[in-house]
Amino acid sequence: MNNFILTKKIKEKILKSFLLIISLTIILAQNSCKPNRNSSRIIVAGAGKITSLDPAQASTFHALQLISSLGDPLYKLDLKGTLQPKLASGPPKISEDGLTVLIPIRKNVLFHDGSSFDAEAMAFSLKRFIRIGTLNYILNGRIAAIETPNKFLLQLTLTRPSTSILNLLTSINITPISPTSYSNYKNKFLNNKFVGTGPYKLTNFSSQHQKLEPFEGYWGTPASNQGIDFIHLSNSTALFSALRTGEIDVLLSTSLDEDHRRSLKIMTTQGKLKEGKGSALEIGYITFNTKTPPLNNSNLRKALLYTIDRKLITQRVSFGLRKSLRSLVPSSLNKRANTLWPKYNPKKARDLMKKAGYCNNQKLSLSFTFRSNVPADKLLALTWQSQIKRDLHDCMNLRLNGIESTTIYRQLGEGAFQVVMLDWRGAYPDPEAYLVPLLSCSKITNTHCEEGEAAASGSFWSSNWIEKALKRSDLLTGQARMNTYQQIENRAVDGGAYLPIWLDEPRAWSQNHISKPQFDGSGQLLLDHLRKLN
Amino acid sequence: MGRKRALIRYCAIRLALAPLMLWLIASLVFILLRVAPGDPVDAILGNRANEIAREALRVKLGLDLSVWQQYSNFIIGLARGDLGEALVNQEPVRDIITRSLPASLELSITALILAISLGLLVGFTGIKSPESNIDLAGRIYGISTYALPPFWAAMLMQLLFAVLLGWLPVGGRFPPSLIQPEGSGFLILDCVINRNWIALQGTIRHLVLPASTLAILLSGIFSRALRINLERVLQTDHIQAARSRGIKESQIIAVHALPNSLLPVLTIAGITIASLVGGALLIEVTFSWPGIALRLQEAISQRDYPVVQGIVVVIATLVVFVSVITDLLVASIDPRVSY
Repeated sequence: MNNFILTKKIKEKILKSFLLIISLTIILAQNSCKPNRNSSRIIVAGAGKITSLDPAQASTFHALQLISSLGDPLYKLDLKGTLQPKLASGPPKISEDGLTVLIPIRKNVLFHDGSSFDAEAMAFSLKRFIRIGTLNYILNGRIAAIETPNKFLLQLTLTRPSTSILNLLTSINITPISPTSYSNYKNKFLNNKFVGTGPYKLTNFSSQHQKLEPFEGYWGTPASNQGIDFIHLSNSTALFSALRTGEIDVLLSTSLDEDHRRSLKIMTTQGKLKEGKGSALEIGYITFNTKTPPLNNSNLRKALLYTIDRKLITQRVSFGLRKSLRSLVPSSLNKRANTLWPKYNPKKARDLMKKAGYCNNQKLSLSFTFRSNVPADKLLALTWQSQIKRDLHDCMNLRLNGIESTTIYRQLGEGAFQVVMLDWRGAYPDPEAYLVPLLSCSKITNTHCEEGEAAASGSFWSSNWIEKALKRSDLLTGQARMNTYQQIENRAVDGGAYLPIWLDEPRAWSQNHISKPQFDGSGQLLLDHLRKLN
Repeated sequence: MGRKRALIRYCAIRLALAPLMLWLIASLVFILLRVAPGDPVDAILGNRANEIAREALRVKLGLDLSVWQQYSNFIIGLARGDLGEALVNQEPVRDIITRSLPASLELSITALILAISLGLLVGFTGIKSPESNIDLAGRIYGISTYALPPFWAAMLMQLLFAVLLGWLPVGGRFPPSLIQPEGSGFLILDCVINRNWIALQGTIRHLVLPASTLAILLSGIFSRALRINLERVLQTDHIQAARSRGIKESQIIAVHALPNSLLPVLTIAGITIASLVGGALLIEVTFSWPGIALRLQEAISQRDYPVVQGIVVVIATLVVFVSVITDLLVASIDPRVSY
C-alpha cells in the first residue's frame, strides 16, 4: 500500500477539480445573492398546493383565496358583516312568502375572455355548482328553480323560506364563470384555468405557482399593483424563512406553525414587517361523545365545560395569537354570543364532578383524541392534560391519543372518540353555517341524535327544540334571528356536548415596502389592495 | 459467447418477471390502501359534509363499487397503460406523474453526480495517505454523512445558505417572477433548449441547495465504497505486476485499479437513483421541491388511491429497469461476473 503514491499530475488534477467545483459554487452563490425580481409584481406565499381552481370543486383555503381575486361573487361581506353588492347591482328582493328572491345583475361587466356577464351567466354558474359542486350540499336543497326573467335579473325560487340564502350568495364556490369558456366543462371540472370577472386574470397556472395579471376590462376599481405571483411552499419553516430573507413580499398565516406566527408578530412590533388581520371565521372546539358512558352523564359533561383554562391554553399554544372562544359562532357573526359557555372554574368543575359520583376515590379517565398532523391540537392536548393534572388530579385524568385527521373524520360519526378536538369554518359567513352542522338532527330520541349532522359530528346530541329553532331561524331576520341563535346556543351549553376553545384569525404579513395587508369580511386577503410603496 | 448468451437470458428473465412483480406490487398497494383507515371522501370533504353529501361523492368517485370491482378496474386499466384519474380533482394520474417525475429525476441525477464526485474525491484523498489524519477525516465524513438524518441536514443547509447567508432560495424549483419554460419538464434542459439563460440561472439556484444536501448525504457511501475497494484492488497481484513492469502509477490507477474499484460504486449508484426517485421525500418536503415523492405523500394524506397506486407502480417499474441496466453495465465492465 505504501507503494501507492499519487503522481504530481494526478494530484494537480484532483486539486484543480476541487478548486473548480468550489469556485463555481461560490460564483453561483454570489451571483444569486440578489434574486432577479421584476419589481413591479408582488409575490404572495402560502402553504400547500392548489389542485383545482374550479369554484365548483375548490375547498382549500388557498384555492378559495385565489378564486376570490380572480372572480366576484354576487355579494360580499364587508368588515362590519354587511352584505355589499358586487356582481349584483343592488340588494336582493325577497317576496312576501319568502319563496322568491330577485337579484338585480350589474351591467357592463366582462369576463376575462371578453364575453359579457349577465343573469344567464350567473344562472349557468349556479346550476353547474348544484349539478357537480363538491360542496353543493351547502345549498341543502333550498333552491327549486333558477330563472332569468330578463337579461339583468336573476330569480331564485326557493323550496322553503330561507334568510340564510343571502349570506350563502357570498360563497366563493358560486363565483360566476364564463359560460363561453366553460362550455365543454358543464358537467366536469376545469382545474387549471379560471375565467371569471375579477380584478385579476389568471395567466399561468401550476399547482405550486399561479400568475395573476390585472384585468384591463375590470368593471370596478382596478388592482393597485402590476400583478401577483402566488406561490406555495410545503412547510412552515420554508414560508417563514422566505419572508425573512425577502424572497417573498406577503405571507399568509394558514398552516404556519405557532412559533413562526409568534416570531412574525414580534418582527411586526419591531417595525420589520406589517401585519394585517381578517375576521376570525375558524373555530376550534372539543366534542364530547354523549352516546356512551361515562359522557352520557350530562352532569359530568357540564363539569368538563369548567375544566379548561382558555386564557392559559391560548397563551401557551398560540402565544396569545388565537382568541378565546365561548360560543360555537365566531364573534364577527354574532357579537353578543361570545360569553355563552362558562369560564374556567376548577372549583365548580370539582363540585359537579362530585355530584356525578367522581373525585371521592373515583377517578374519571378520559381518552382525548387530537389530530396528530395539526401541531396546535397537540399542544392544546398536552396543556389541557397538564392543567387537569394540576387542578383536578384527584378527580380525573386525560389520556392523549393522536390520530391523523382523515382517520378521525372517517370514524367520527361511528362514535369512536370519547373526547375529540376539531375545528370548523362555515362554508359561508352565517351563524347557521356553524350551528346546523353541529346541532341539527333528523332523527332524535330525547336528546340522543341517531341520524343527522349532530351524529356525524361525533357528539350525538341534539334536541327537538333545537331542531325546530334552527328551522325557525331561517324564517327570521335581523336581531330576532340572532336572538334565536343565542337561545339555541344556550341550550347547547346545557347539553354540554361541545366545548368551544378558540378562534383563529387569518393573518398576513408584508414587507415594509408593501402596503399593510387587508382582508374582506369573509377572511380573504384583498390581493388587489396590495401595492408597492415608494 | 456462452457468457453473452447467459447474460441475455438473465435479462430476458428479469424483464419477463417484471410484469408479475409489478402486478404483485400494485395488488399489495391496492390492498394496503383499502385497509388503511379513512377514505378519499373524508379527505376531500373533511368533517364538513353530511352523510348524504358523502354518499353522493362516494358514488361519483366510484367508491361505492365492491372492492373486487375496483381492483379489476384498476388492474385492467393498468394493463392498458391507463393509471386512472385522481379522485381529488379528476386529473389523469399519467399527467400528474409526467409533471412531477422529471422534477425528481432532475434532482436525483444532479445529486447523484455531485455525490459520486464528492465521494470519489474523499475516497481518493483517503487512499492517498492511508491511516493518516486525512484518511481518518474521510472515514468519519463517510460514516457521519451516511448517518445524518436527512431532514436535519436539509434544515441546517437551508438555515445556513438561505436564511443566514441569503445566497440561495429557501425552496421551490423555479423563480416565481419568471415564466417556466414549456417542454420536457426537465427545467435545465428546457431552459437550454429555449436559450433562456435567466431562467437557467434561476433553475440552477433553486437546484443547488436540495441537490447538494442530498449529495452530501449520499457521498459518504460512495467514498466508503471506493476507499475500501480501491485499497483492496491496489493490493492485488495484477497491480503489483503492473508496477513491476514499470507502468506509470496514473495509468495503473486509471486503467487497472479504478474499473475494478468502481464496480460496487456503479451498483450502489444504480440502486440509489432508483430509490431516490421515490425516497427523497424529506428533502422534497423541506425544500418544497415539487417532485414525485412529495406528490406521493400528498396523495397518501388525501387517500387519493389512483394517484398513490400509479406513482408506486411507476417507481417500481423504474427500480426494475434501473437494476436490469445496472446488471448489464456491471457485466459489460467485469468479465468475472457470471449469470
